[in-house]
Parts: sequence; structure tokens; C-alpha cells
Amino acid sequence: MQATTMAATGSMARRQAWTGATLLAFLLLVAVKAQSGGFDSFEIQTMVTSTLALGYLTLAQGVIVIGGGIDLSVGAQMVLFNCLSARLMEGRSFGTCLLIAAGATLAGALLGALTGLVIARSGVPDIIVTLATGFVWSGLALFVLPTPGGGTALEFQTLVLGSGTEFWPPLVGLAVPGLIIWYVLRRTSAGLGIYALGSDRQAAFLAGVPALRAQVTAYAIGGLLCALGGLAATAFTGGGDPRATAGMTATLTSVAAVVLGGIALTGGVGGLLGPVVAVWSLYLIPAIMLARGVDPAYGEAVKGVVIVLVVLIGGLLRRNGRKT
Amino acid sequence: MTAVRARDWPKVDRSLLVLVGVLAALVLANGVIDQGFLSAAQLRNTLLVTVPLALIAGGQTLCMLTGGIDLSVAMTATAAAYVTGVRAADGTALAILEGLAVGLVIGLVNGVAIAVFRVNALIMTLGMSAILTGLLTVGSQTFLKGATRMPEFVRELGGGTIVGPIPWNLLVWLLLGGLLIFGLRRTGLGRLIYAIGGNRRAARLAGVRVASVEVAVYVACALLAAVAGILIGGRGGSVDLQLAGSYLLPSVAAAVIGGTSILGGSGGYTGTILGALILSVLDTMLNVLNVDEAVKQVLYGTIVLVLAWVYIRTSRARTGDR
Repeated sequence: MQATTMAATGSMARRQAWTGATLLAFLLLVAVKAQSGGFDSFEIQTMVTSTLALGYLTLAQGVIVIGGGIDLSVGAQMVLFNCLSARLMEGRSFGTCLLIAAGATLAGALLGALTGLVIARSGVPDIIVTLATGFVWSGLALFVLPTPGGGTALEFQTLVLGSGTEFWPPLVGLAVPGLIIWYVLRRTSAGLGIYALGSDRQAAFLAGVPALRAQVTAYAIGGLLCALGGLAATAFTGGGDPRATAGMTATLTSVAAVVLGGIALTGGVGGLLGPVVAVWSLYLIPAIMLARGVDPAYGEAVKGVVIVLVVLIGGLLRRNGRKT
Repeated sequence: MTAVRARDWPKVDRSLLVLVGVLAALVLANGVIDQGFLSAAQLRNTLLVTVPLALIAGGQTLCMLTGGIDLSVAMTATAAAYVTGVRAADGTALAILEGLAVGLVIGLVNGVAIAVFRVNALIMTLGMSAILTGLLTVGSQTFLKGATRMPEFVRELGGGTIVGPIPWNLLVWLLLGGLLIFGLRRTGLGRLIYAIGGNRRAARLAGVRVASVEVAVYVACALLAAVAGILIGGRGGSVDLQLAGSYLLPSVAAAVIGGTSILGGSGGYTGTILGALILSVLDTMLNVLNVDEAVKQVLYGTIVLVLAWVYIRTSRARTGDR
């Protein structure tokens, strides 16, 4: 009994250490950025607003990965809701835009729940299902908005992104859903079921965790967050863009950020703060390179190296930790 | 061992028969929709687009059989083709070798990181994709600057015709594909790949040098992708950075439709070939029908999902039989 408690404390400490390391790395990057290109409230606003959609996607991916799954369609879902909202919001009043946003969020949750249900019922691996649904969502996005366009109300943009150099609105916009979901994950039985399902499917089932409910809940939360990501993209660009490549890149970044932020791809482990900070860190790397006069095209390569190295070193540390 | 195999064969055949049925139905449907589909020219076109996909999906199948995945295949193909194109001035043979060397290096790095340092395959190959994208983007402006026109020989190989409906690239594929099927079924390495995917721990305890086998698998996958990339480049004549991007998801889909489990240990290349053919014929059909890109993607996704679902259903029923 004591051994298990100790092991649990150990893994807890290691997890906190990982989040701490992510935070530290982020602060370091901020310091470097401040030195080489400044880091005032304008820079913060740029960082938070331009990564807002990605932040939501990363939260979505995080919840799903914690539940033992993976979703390769988060980017496509974002693109779909980006196009849908941009098409519907064009030329509408602020109030209508808000209604549309609420409807989109609900629809996102439903789409997510549907994905979760298909995965649970079909027995087809999540990677395959979401690969296929990714095609479907990006096809629908093209159907809704064949070419880049659409629009939104200016007030809606201000609400989501803030005005001038205000960086609080987007930060709050990210933190409030994040905190609510954190509460659901940590304090409700549905949320704990997601952790249980992710850490050991068999054990969770034997312990009476309703696996189907947990899986559907995880994907529903994911879908909701993807819809928020699409709305954030609409606010940020003032329109919609149905091209699928942006979605694919976003999906890949969300997986990378989730792993960098300390969520194990095997499921059941991790929190939500680390991944968001990881998204900001990944944003800062090319920004710093640009400020230092390095060709920003290298940014992508550096990102790749950082992702691989962090996972490699993390894996080595974890293995050593287990040995001692 | 023989007893197990004897029981396995008819089952494998039944699932493959379903795939053959689906393929036949699609070809028939295509023939009805478009009278020209069964002509030599159209057949040639279908084969021409199938071959690179079947090669990349072959590598993907190898990785999936060990329980891994390679999401860097598209960028590997692009990088190999790009290097071959830029180095065309060095002489055809050298240019192709340089392209293949790119594949070799990528495969080695992937394999060592995944097998020896135990980096998650998904993350490693995603990272590799990002690294290659960055390097190629910068490289095309600096150290890989120049015309990206493929050598004459490569263009003939990637897009030329031997006779009637038979393109040259089919020959390359018959060679490599035959090697793959033979290697997986009849060689020790092939059996070890299945053993690792079936139960990595058990394989290790049984004395399999798991890391070496995995490195070999990722190298083979990257080399196949490199060959495919060079063929794709040859078909188009010149190379750009988006060359093979659209092959990534179909390569996974072809393997899955063909019955290779993403969890490893079961499946094979024969199914993947059928999967690749089904996807290409489907693609041709949607093109012939002249449907919207939107409808095309929705249909494509739905059909992949349905096929995977049906496959899992039939293989579950088989397990139930036992």
C-alpha cells in the first residue's frame, strides 16, 4: 500500500517536474525574445492571438490523448468551423454572430461525440477513424466555402482578440474553457473516467468505468474545443479559408505540443497547462530566429529537432527513473 | 508452425477475396460510367498513379507490421525526388543514387531514434517531416538551388510506356513489390517483423534483436518512399516541394484497407496492393464523374472508414469462428 502511494507520489512529482520544465523553457524563450526583439504587451498580444486557434486544438488533442485516443482530424474540424462561421457571420450583426458562435460550439461537441461513438462502436483504431473523418470534414469545409472568403462582425473580432495591445481577452478566452475542462477532468466522475480509460482500458472496464461514456465525452470535449479553434481562426483572419493544408499542419502541431507539454501518448497522464505553454514555445522559436536574423524557414526544421530531442530526453529520463 | 499456417491461409484468403470483390465492383462501375475506362490508355494511367502509392504504402505496411507508423514518407519521397532533380547534372545514375541516399539517411535516423532511443514512432516521424520541410524550404533557396528538371531516364521510368497499357514504373514495382511479398513471407527477417509487431517483449525474450530489425524496417520504408518520390517526379518531369504531400494519408489508408493492423503483427503486402488499387480506381472514378473536390473528399473519407469498419467486422467474425 505504502509502495503504491510512493509510486503515485513519484509519478506525480515527475509530472509536475515536466510541467515545470516546460514552463522554464518557455520563460527562457521569452527572455531570449525580450533580449533580441523585445517582448512588450504588443508582442504578447501577437503571440496569444496568433496561437489562439492552435491553443484550443492543443487542448482538444490533450483531452483526447489523456483518454487514450488520438485525433488526426482536429485541424480539419477547425477548418470546417472556420469556414462555416465565416460564411454564416458575413454581414451579420454582433448578436447574430454570438448566436452563430454558440451554435457552432454545440455542433462541434456533437461532431466530436459522433467520432467518439464511431471509434468505440466500430473497433476501428482511432488513428484510422480520424484520418477518414478528417477527409470528410475538410470536404464539408470546401462545400460550405469553396474559396477563401466570408467575414465576421468587427465587435466579434474585438471580443475574441482584444483591441489595441490588450492581451487579456484572448488569454481569458483560452483560460476559461481550459479551467472548466480541467475541473471536469479532475473533479467529476466522467472526467476521471477519461483518465482511467487512458491509463489502462482493461482495468478501467473491470473497475466499472463506463468506457463508452468516457470515450464519447473525451471526443465531445475535443470537438467543442475544435469548434472554438475554428471561431478563433475566423476572428483572427476575419474570414474563412477552406484549404486543408493549414488544418493538417495544425493537427501535427497539436500532437507535438501535447507531447512536449507532458501528456503521454499512451494516455492517462498529463495536464492542460503544459501543452498550451508548449504551443507558445513553438511559436516563439521562429519568432526569435527571425529577430536574430536567421532565415525563419529554418524554424520548421528547428521545431522538428526540438520536438524529437525533448521526447528522446524525456524518454531516457523516464527509463532511468524507473531503473533506480 | 505448419499447422498454424495451414489454418491461417484460408482465412487470409477470405478477407482478400472481399477486397478483390470491392475492387472488381469499382472497376465495373467505372467501366459503366466511362466507356473509356477499360481502354489501354486509361488502364495505363491508373497503373501509373497506383505504383508510387503502392510503393509508399508498402513501406508503411512494414512499419505498421512492427506496430509503428511512418508519417514522414511523403516528405522523404519529396526530398529524394528534389535531390535527384537538382543533381541531374551529375549524371543520371549518380543523381538517382543521391536521391536514394537521402532516403537511406532519413530511414536510418528514424529507425535509430525509434528502435534504439525509443522515441514514439508517431512523434519521431512527425518531427522528421517538419525537419525535412524546413531543410527543403531553405535548401531550395540555397544549397539545393538550381533547375529541378528530372533526367530523361527518370522521366521515361516514371511516365513512359513499355507496351500497350504497361508503364515502365510497373516494372520497378513488380521488382520491389515481389521482393517485399517474398521477404515478408519467406525470409527470417520477414517473420521477425511479424514477431515484433505481435509481441515486442516476447520477441525480445526469444532472442530477436528487435532494434536491428526495426532499423531495417524504417530504412526499407524510407527507401521505398524515395523510389516512389523519384518515380512521381519522373512522371511530372520537374519537382516541387508539394510533390508527394497528397500520398501520406492514402498510404496509411491503403495499408489499413488491405487489412494490416495499425497495432502490428497482422496483415501483409498483398492486401496493401489491393488497398492501393482500390483507392486509385476510386480516385479515377471520382475524377471521371467530375464531382466537386468537396464531394470527392467526403466520399473518399467515408469509403475509407466504411472499408476499414467492414474489414474489422469480417476479421472479428473470423476470430469468432475459432
